[in-house]
Amino acid sequence: MAIAVPPRIKAVASRAHRSEFVATLLLRAACALVVLSIAALIAYLASEGTKLFTHDHVSPFEFLFSPVFNPEANHPGSLVFIVGSLAITAFAVFVGGPFGIAVGVLLSELAPRRFVDVMKPAVEVLVGIPSVIYGWIGLTLLVPLIRTVTGSNGFGLLAAGIVLSVMILPTIITLSEDALRAVPDSLREGSAAMGATRWQTISRVLLPAASSGLTVAVILGVARAIGETMAVQLVIGNAAVLPTGLLSATAALPTEIVQDMSGAQQGSLLEHALFSMALLLLLIAMGLILAVRLAVRRRA
Amino acid sequence: MAQAAVTSEAALERRRRGAAGRRLGDQVATGLLWAAAISVLVLLALFVGYIFFLGIGSISWQFLTSPPSEVTAGGGIGPEIYNSFYILIMTLVFTVPVALAAGIYLQEYAKPGLFQTVVQFSAESLATVPSIVMGLFGLLIFVYLFGWRFSAIGGALTLTILNLPALMRVTQEALATVPDSLREASMSLGATRWTTILRVVLPSAIGPLTTGVVLIAGRIFGETAALIYTAGVSVAAGRAAYDLNPFRPAETLAVHVWYTHAESVVPDVARIGNGSALVLLVMVLLFNVTARVVGRFLTYRFTRKS
Amino acid sequence: MRKTATLAALFLAGALLAPVVALADSTITAAGSTALLPLVKEAAAEYQAKHPDVKIAVSGGGSGTGINQVVAKAIDIGNSDIAAVGQPTLVDHKVAVTGFAIVAHPGVGVTNLTRKQLQDIFSGKTQSWKDVGGADVKITVINRPRNSGTRAVFIKTIMGDVPISASGLTEDATGSVVATVKTTPGAISYAAFAGTRGQGLTELSIDGVAPTDDNVAAGKYPYWSYEHMFTNGPPSPEISRFIAYITSNSDLVHKAGYILVRDMKVTETDR
Repeated sequence: MAIAVPPRIKAVASRAHRSEFVATLLLRAACALVVLSIAALIAYLASEGTKLFTHDHVSPFEFLFSPVFNPEANHPGSLVFIVGSLAITAFAVFVGGPFGIAVGVLLSELAPRRFVDVMKPAVEVLVGIPSVIYGWIGLTLLVPLIRTVTGSNGFGLLAAGIVLSVMILPTIITLSEDALRAVPDSLREGSAAMGATRWQTISRVLLPAASSGLTVAVILGVARAIGETMAVQLVIGNAAVLPTGLLSATAALPTEIVQDMSGAQQGSLLEHALFSMALLLLLIAMGLILAVRLAVRRRA
Repeated sequence: MAQAAVTSEAALERRRRGAAGRRLGDQVATGLLWAAAISVLVLLALFVGYIFFLGIGSISWQFLTSPPSEVTAGGGIGPEIYNSFYILIMTLVFTVPVALAAGIYLQEYAKPGLFQTVVQFSAESLATVPSIVMGLFGLLIFVYLFGWRFSAIGGALTLTILNLPALMRVTQEALATVPDSLREASMSLGATRWTTILRVVLPSAIGPLTTGVVLIAGRIFGETAALIYTAGVSVAAGRAAYDLNPFRPAETLAVHVWYTHAESVVPDVARIGNGSALVLLVMVLLFNVTARVVGRFLTYRFTRKS
Repeated sequence: MRKTATLAALFLAGALLAPVVALADSTITAAGSTALLPLVKEAAAEYQAKHPDVKIAVSGGGSGTGINQVVAKAIDIGNSDIAAVGQPTLVDHKVAVTGFAIVAHPGVGVTNLTRKQLQDIFSGKTQSWKDVGGADVKITVINRPRNSGTRAVFIKTIMGDVPISASGLTEDATGSVVATVKTTPGAISYAAFAGTRGQGLTELSIDGVAPTDDNVAAGKYPYWSYEHMFTNGPPSPEISRFIAYITSNSDLVHKAGYILVRDMKVTETDR
């Protein structure tokens, strides 16, 4: 070496490099654990979830489109649960979506700082409330209410839909507020300069500008609703029939899994059918993430 | 000037009415938006108030400490509260190191490339897995494959995988709040990247980091679907319910709320369910408040010093 | 960094030692039938009071769950209302007999139904209580899930070949059935005596025979079954002692609302 480095500094420097190397290794190992987890999950679920088709020779067509769910007779048609899931999710999105976006607009554009400071923690609390509590409130407050108002037994699509709408509200509120805040002020100023009222600015300029962010908000709301189990299971009635109206008791993919999983014998057709439902849920959820990525890419 | 005189009375009137109409639309829309926001606040107050109203009658020292009874009235939720905390702490012990490490790597080290994309995508995918599906995975791996049967540790590991993405995101966002100038200053003094992170960046980010961890702890506390098939729905009787053995069934408070409705045959099901729901809600609210308070305090302490 | 490494090492060590420790854990786990649950829970409480070194954890889940999990060795004892078909490794211990009652919301105005009427109600043919001589209230059928032994025995002894309509509500367990029937006007369902007694529900007679223990023991009331505690292979001495505590303790069985096996004047081979 050209410069004589004192041995102590050399020791410190190489120790620092060694610890840097070890640290980097450990950090990458942690990342590897994350990758391993999802890989194992997908592998295991794919393997168990396809046994219905490979082992039991049930056709995917029957599984997805037949409304007859009778696993004892080898007819695990899961259309009922797919329709149930779609129905309550659609309800939640069409009711909770506009509501959530409305509040997001308010928080981003109209509300004074003091109100936002009250609202934000409130929304965070709503996120934090466990789903069993939502289910419990649904069971003890909402179902009897629906029963008194409509004369039906209270369980069913309407109860589940209302509960889900409230549950996805915080997600949609937070994300749409963020989406709107991200719109540059120049657009607001330009619109005002042209004489538009505040509402005209919002509806004709800001909302379209934030549309990809708002789409993400709704998609993530859908993702939350599709996988929700506990709150829905307590109020939906758990009847394996296609819903005929808002007041009919029905079932959804996650509620059916929770209902019959513990009693399904290992290796039985019912167990395989339930795992196929779980695989379907996983595919839908991952598909939604891809949709989010596409929506974000389109904006950029 | 001459132009203005030419504009007809009718045209002016039309313009005035048009403006008034737009203003009215503006006011109606604003009113609706405010109504929406206020109703969300009212909804929250209603929920919290209702659970309090339902459950406050069940709360007593006896309720909070005695074991559950399945046949006679008068059961309590002592072991379930213990299990909730036990599983929470175990889950955090597993999750925090891994999520922190992965988050640090993604935020501070990763260069765009295959590894980074794969890790990012894995985390995002993991975040979308519904908790019931995660519970089934836990059942397959920990209960059946590993042979642990229903165990607290099986539940904790399942919750770990479930919460990794959330904690990773918290880490990344917390690290992002630290200005690059701090990193550059540290490195210009000769510190390696890792030393910088350990001694400069992490302490600066401790506030948002702690807030995020405590908020996630609240979510873990309320988790049900992933625990039913991994930690089970029962507790041992007597003092055995309070031991540190991780390989025993461990019903938590949240699972108990569900289980009470679904399985219990005691005459006071409603009382127990309402009381459990209230305790659960109070704990979650405490986590929420604590997260914010502690986070703000830590940020104040650590950023003032530097 | 060193802390992370230590934690990681501890975690790995724990995971590797886990199966060993698991073998050392001696909690007796029992799960399954919610019809049998009250008896097993009560027995566990009394047994642990007498033997403080023994740990017993009991839960529900349905007869199918009990059989399923004991076959998979996830639990020690599987409680069930029905015999386990096609499971040669399971050892059957009949600990009691239970009758099941058809329960309805008070206010339906009916105290007795014939078997044919029951079949029509649960298959969905009869929609209103008015059609069976009761109040003008819509019938809300509440069923148990597929894994329920209570439901299986109901099908075997009452429904026969008549299929249960899929459009009824489903409740997980004995407890939630009772809770739902109590609060839902026009509701009808089925559950074990231990769960339905003293709940303020209308317990219906079947073909004129009231749902009492004496009628079950005499063989006059049709809706009953043996209560099984299955073990996977011969039970360990500790588990044997626990099961023997139940079968030899007639006070416990009666207090919990069940019938002694030896009091039955009829026997069935397939329940």
